[in-house]
Amino acid sequence: MLRFILRRLIYGVITLWVLITLTFIMMHNLPGDPFANSQKLSKEALAVLKKTYGLDQPIWVQYGSYLKKIVSFDFGISFNYPTRTVNEVLTQTFPTSAELGMYAIIVAVLIGLTLGVIAALNHNKTWDYVAMLTAIVGVAAPALVIGPLLSYFIGVKLGWLPPALWKGPEYKILPTITLAFGTLATMARMMRTSMLDVVNQDYIKTARSKGLTKFAVVFKHTIRNAMLPIITILGVAVVNITTGAFVVEQIFAVPGMGKFFVQSITTNDYTMIMGMTIFYAALLIVAIMITDVLYGLIDPRIRLSKGGK
Amino acid sequence: MSNNILEVKDLKVSFHTYAGEVHAVRGVTFNLKKGEALAIVGESGCGKSVTSQAIMRLIATPPGEIKKGSSIIFDGKTDIAKLTDKQMEDIRGSEMGMIFQDPMTSLNPTMKIGRQIAEGLIKHQGLSKQAARERAIEMLRLVGIPNPEGRVDNYPHQFSGGMRQRVMIAIALACNPKLLIADEPTTALDVTIQAQILDLMRDLQEKTGASIILITHDLGVVADIAQRVVVMYAGKVVEQGTVDDIFYNPQHPYTWGLMRSVPRLDHDDNKELIPIEGTPPDLIAPPKGCAFAARCPYAMEVCLEQDPDVSKVNAGHSASCWLLHPNAPKVERPVEVGGHNHG
Amino acid sequence: MQTVTPDKFKPATHAGNKERVVRKSLSYWADAWRRLKKNKLATFGLIVLSLLAIFAIIGPFIQPYDYQSQDYAARNIAPGTAHWFGTDDLGRDQWVRVWWGVRISLFIGIISAALDFTIGVLYGGISAYFGGRVDDIMQRIIEILMGLPYMIIVILLMMVMGPGIFTIIVALAAVGWVGMARLVRGQMLSLKEQEYVLAARTLGASSWRIILRHLIPNALGIIIINVTFTVPGAIFAEAFLSFIGLGIKPPMASLGSLVNDGMQVMRNYPYRLLCPSIVFSLIMLSFNLLGDGLRDALDPRLRK
Repeated sequence: MLRFILRRLIYGVITLWVLITLTFIMMHNLPGDPFANSQKLSKEALAVLKKTYGLDQPIWVQYGSYLKKIVSFDFGISFNYPTRTVNEVLTQTFPTSAELGMYAIIVAVLIGLTLGVIAALNHNKTWDYVAMLTAIVGVAAPALVIGPLLSYFIGVKLGWLPPALWKGPEYKILPTITLAFGTLATMARMMRTSMLDVVNQDYIKTARSKGLTKFAVVFKHTIRNAMLPIITILGVAVVNITTGAFVVEQIFAVPGMGKFFVQSITTNDYTMIMGMTIFYAALLIVAIMITDVLYGLIDPRIRLSKGGK
Repeated sequence: MSNNILEVKDLKVSFHTYAGEVHAVRGVTFNLKKGEALAIVGESGCGKSVTSQAIMRLIATPPGEIKKGSSIIFDGKTDIAKLTDKQMEDIRGSEMGMIFQDPMTSLNPTMKIGRQIAEGLIKHQGLSKQAARERAIEMLRLVGIPNPEGRVDNYPHQFSGGMRQRVMIAIALACNPKLLIADEPTTALDVTIQAQILDLMRDLQEKTGASIILITHDLGVVADIAQRVVVMYAGKVVEQGTVDDIFYNPQHPYTWGLMRSVPRLDHDDNKELIPIEGTPPDLIAPPKGCAFAARCPYAMEVCLEQDPDVSKVNAGHSASCWLLHPNAPKVERPVEVGGHNHG
Repeated sequence: MQTVTPDKFKPATHAGNKERVVRKSLSYWADAWRRLKKNKLATFGLIVLSLLAIFAIIGPFIQPYDYQSQDYAARNIAPGTAHWFGTDDLGRDQWVRVWWGVRISLFIGIISAALDFTIGVLYGGISAYFGGRVDDIMQRIIEILMGLPYMIIVILLMMVMGPGIFTIIVALAAVGWVGMARLVRGQMLSLKEQEYVLAARTLGASSWRIILRHLIPNALGIIIINVTFTVPGAIFAEAFLSFIGLGIKPPMASLGSLVNDGMQVMRNYPYRLLCPSIVFSLIMLSFNLLGDGLRDALDPRLRK
């Protein structure tokens, strides 16, 4: 198990390094030279920037100092607003995004799994069709479609909930639903499939042959085993919800990291984009790593194995 | 009260698939005496497993269905076919236990084996967790798991196939059931392990006095354990009798075929093994006459038109074949089949 | 005792042979096609998809406008006989722009899937074929790439390469093939070891026969299923990028940017949001329904 965790950690670090290097290479290959043809910058600011990025030094020295900065969580300053550091922006916007993301993942996992379980237990009956319909709508109408529609119909037309902004609790419902929906649908679908798969396993027959109640068979044997494959997609779910937030925060004008990221993209704030990209990537790589380790902890076949696999 | 622990009468089981209704079991009747070991033999798909799962009421409904008119009288009083699911839960595991074919998949991979044994005890005998654990350790010792105190907290993947099957036996016998159903318990195991598991089962049967239904297609296993044999073909019983009846005086051409297709140590000559040609009929549309007629070298016109009744050979031995009809021509039975007992 | 006339005890003449299989046997593909046709949702997906494709081809030409001509006299017109989906704030015809968006969506979806497929089959095939060291190294590379967040990398690439159809396709292909490569390799390796392949070989089947009759039908099914889901994935990625302003260059229309534009003005001109949204949802829906149907039809393990 220890080897398993170690292996995951090493892979995480390598992946992160690849990404950091990738951003560095990209910085140097941006369309045109952002430093050359930027009229917005004053000479002083340009000088500061050049010095910050050490553009007058050989490329591997630049790379070295870049790595050093990243490792010490120094993502530099905004390209468009030289008075703002990337770190400032992150500390300002991250809590909002984290809150929204949290809500979304909780809603997606809890409702998605419940729906999946109910669907599987009522295979080919009403609830099963409800879950299947949710799953279909989930893929057919991703956040960028369902978000504006919810905002328009529930926010503007019906006026039940605020169509945008991020103030009181009632403001948080539509963005949460929008962000959670796709993942919720995937969760419901995966859980349903997984449950139906487990129900046909021999060990469920064994459990029934012991005379356990239906309830005990479902809760102690079926759900527990059906959850295992779900844990593996939890990492993907976190990734989807994080990137989905780019769109959702845009739609509902939520002052989070995603909205700021998209803004930086539209205004070509390169340093901001690089810093945020690395932050995002680190976040997601860690999330994937955690779910992998979590899976190892929960599945005794992996937890108790001495080997690495 | 009769001497039978189980009386299966006209059991019919169907599965509703998209291709149509599969008549997997088409009117099976047999009895099982207390303390007796009965083997049900037949090739894959003959309905032997479905029969055993119907007795445990483990057939998933839908798509499966135990047809009206079937009766499974357990212990002289309860008709299992008519019990509610709730009532059935009280019988399963306490009065009857079951062992499945593949020990690699029949244990829950995420639950300690001690708990898997204890579950039934807690439910049926109201034991505390601690007491159930003690009993689980005792059961593990009984089925020959070394170091049961240490092993009780292990997970299934830490056991070998043979050891897992021992655990399965421990689960099935934990509550001292009156009936143990073993569905091909040794098929998935190595030959050497097979013998150990069979020894264990025979040993435990002597100790506990449980009746056993053994589902198998291995006639060697039958001779080893069973006192009586039911031969099934295409969802029906074609012949039943004592082991001696079936091995030395078989009456049904299908049984002859079975006997000729397995090696026999008690025949000193090096007889060639003769397979039964052809494949079993499609049970979505079972044939009108005898299901075996299409593959039967002795088939007569009547066999294709009408299903034969059960003919008694002696008190405990019967077969369903037109050859046993008084008007039927006498055919020479192949000599390899119980030749010395002929006539 | 059943009464039977004695003449019935004559030996029967076996009409058919004993190996007669009662149910008609179908080839793998014929059976898959039959199952797909029986699947109502998949059929629906296929029909909608065909309609969308037809409209993507002819849609822009049955209205006398193009996607970029601005007409200040006809700004923000609600859907009607002149402009079936209305016009935008520059007086451009929405009907034409939406179908151009669909064209781009379908084009990117199909090309991306084809690229994923090609790279994935090559990489996975080479990895599985050579095995050993080569396989080891190639798999380590894949494991690292798998850890990279897809969208983030695509966004980075788009930043560097600038917006446009071509760059989107390159960016998507650069990241998208990994899953396919893993799938292909896994299929190849497991199929190589399958007992039925060994059985076929033992029976003296030639390598070509094994490849044609065993490996391809079994691997291809799963690969086709994967491709059908890659297409809507790429379509979604394009819409996502265009929505956040990184995708298709204006004035060209993309469903993602149309939805975004529509969202800005939905209070006054809701049709500008609804038209592209509905069409986009239909694309996603039909591809996914078709993919589900194909999975049920092609996955041999689900066959009964």
